Amino acid sequence: MKAPLLDRNLNADIAWVTEPLVALGGRCGTVSTATFLAQVHSLAGKLPHGQHAINLCGNRYLFTLAFCAVIVRGQTNLLPPNRNVATQARLLERYPETFVLHDGSELLDGIDSLNVNNLSLFDCGEANEIPLIPLNHLAAIAFTSGSTGDSKPNLKSWLTFYESTKINKRYMYEECANTVYQLATVPGQHMWGLETSVLLPLFADICVLDCKPLFPADIQKKLQMISGEKLLVSTPVHLRALELSGLTFPTLNRILSATAPLSAEQAEKLEQCFNCQVREVYGCSEVGSMAYRRTAKAEPWTLFEGLDLNEEDQGTRATGNHLPESVLLQDFMNFSDERHFELAGRHADLIEIAGKRGSLQEINKVLLACDGVVDGVVFLPENSQQNVARLVALVVLNTASPDLNKDVLQTVFREHLDAAFVPRPIYIVDALPREENGKLTKAKILELYSQLSSM
Amino acid sequence: MSDVKQTPAESELAALLVDALNLEDVQAEEIDPQETLFGDGLGLDSIDALEIALAISQKYGVQMQAEDENVRNAFATLSSLSEFVEKHKTI
Repeated sequence: MKAPLLDRNLNADIAWVTEPLVALGGRCGTVSTATFLAQVHSLAGKLPHGQHAINLCGNRYLFTLAFCAVIVRGQTNLLPPNRNVATQARLLERYPETFVLHDGSELLDGIDSLNVNNLSLFDCGEANEIPLIPLNHLAAIAFTSGSTGDSKPNLKSWLTFYESTKINKRYMYEECANTVYQLATVPGQHMWGLETSVLLPLFADICVLDCKPLFPADIQKKLQMISGEKLLVSTPVHLRALELSGLTFPTLNRILSATAPLSAEQAEKLEQCFNCQVREVYGCSEVGSMAYRRTAKAEPWTLFEGLDLNEEDQGTRATGNHLPESVLLQDFMNFSDERHFELAGRHADLIEIAGKRGSLQEINKVLLACDGVVDGVVFLPENSQQNVARLVALVVLNTASPDLNKDVLQTVFREHLDAAFVPRPIYIVDALPREENGKLTKAKILELYSQLSSM
Repeated sequence: MSDVKQTPAESELAALLVDALNLEDVQAEEIDPQETLFGDGLGLDSIDALEIALAISQKYGVQMQAEDENVRNAFATLSSLSEFVEKHKTI
């Protein structure tokens, strides 16, 4: 059984290259689907041998080209949570026959690699033959960014991508007479960015900009370039910065937000600021997008057709015909009917920072494994004002280890944890407020923390 | 702490950074103007860059743009960031 690599009008534009790319002969501008397809074929023929390709391309167009070429060639994309050399080393160890596709990254010594932007892909002409991909082909392995270095692999067959994108299209994309232009502030390697800015344009009349702007002024500039219908794919962190920037933005068609909770208040402000509907999407790397809501209207979540959720003791189980296996979500839900629910809290161990998921237990293990640490706890303060929450560490040091201090601890954390989870601040304390039975309650921790932070 | 000398503009900006980023265990006056802000020094990441840009736009009326090479260079240290802000501030 096979399914096409893409399904859309070949004459319509699929991408917009906003800065000159060497691989395209220094050209910018829109790229038709037929041209894109010809470049995919050309790149597929130039790929190194090997079963796995670590796709590090930062430019979204080159990422998408590489992503598709790897699949057409019968290889598998590895989508790491970051570009670190250490991450490349771990992937190479775990997946033999691995090479790197990049557009100018720092590389692990000795790893096979190809700089996609050094190739000449601009004289390929157009292609109208759409490759058929075996449904059981392992198209990508997406990694759930764990708190420690070892991230969990999520296997994505072409069946999963093909079917889930058809589902996503129904809820994320609004049928328009003309091509919709998409600007995304998230990377293609992350599942949210992959589903929206890489896969969706293969199956919907979307032309996606190749950039990943960060600052509000950059985002404004890119949006102003677009004269047609505009779709913005982003996260609450980026969207909050846009709203507070004081800049004026063009009217959009729709905003999609995911990776962290969006408040109803924030969503309402954004709807006013951009004069469009803000759809918040619920999902995870294992399953992909699962539900949406119009947050400003305090709507319950609407579960996507094709997916089912069932309550269990440890959380909620997600199933779908296109998924290789059912997935236990660490969220609890209250269902108002079969297709609508409210989120009712999550497993206490699970934390999410900057779109990355971590386990408090694992992070605490890293702290307690340090020589000279007598006692300590890492936690997420509940009400960490308006900006991105960061973890806090309270640490008791052995007075006989004079070499151990905050700086050393920070280095240890940086070596073992993803940057998003490195505790900040770290407080050295005399003792933790443990109960007589040794238990440490959240209330006592927060009380000590509030004393320390107000000093 | 070593002998750290901040200009008045750097001190003001340092206080803004500490406040915007919740760097509760860092004393604003202890930030070395020549120390790298990202990576090894203070260990900040892109989300921090966004927070800094937002705080700077609100306090000084300067909109940071990553496309602008001057901005990318400005984020290197407290000293370079302060120089950039002083040159472009409108408030």
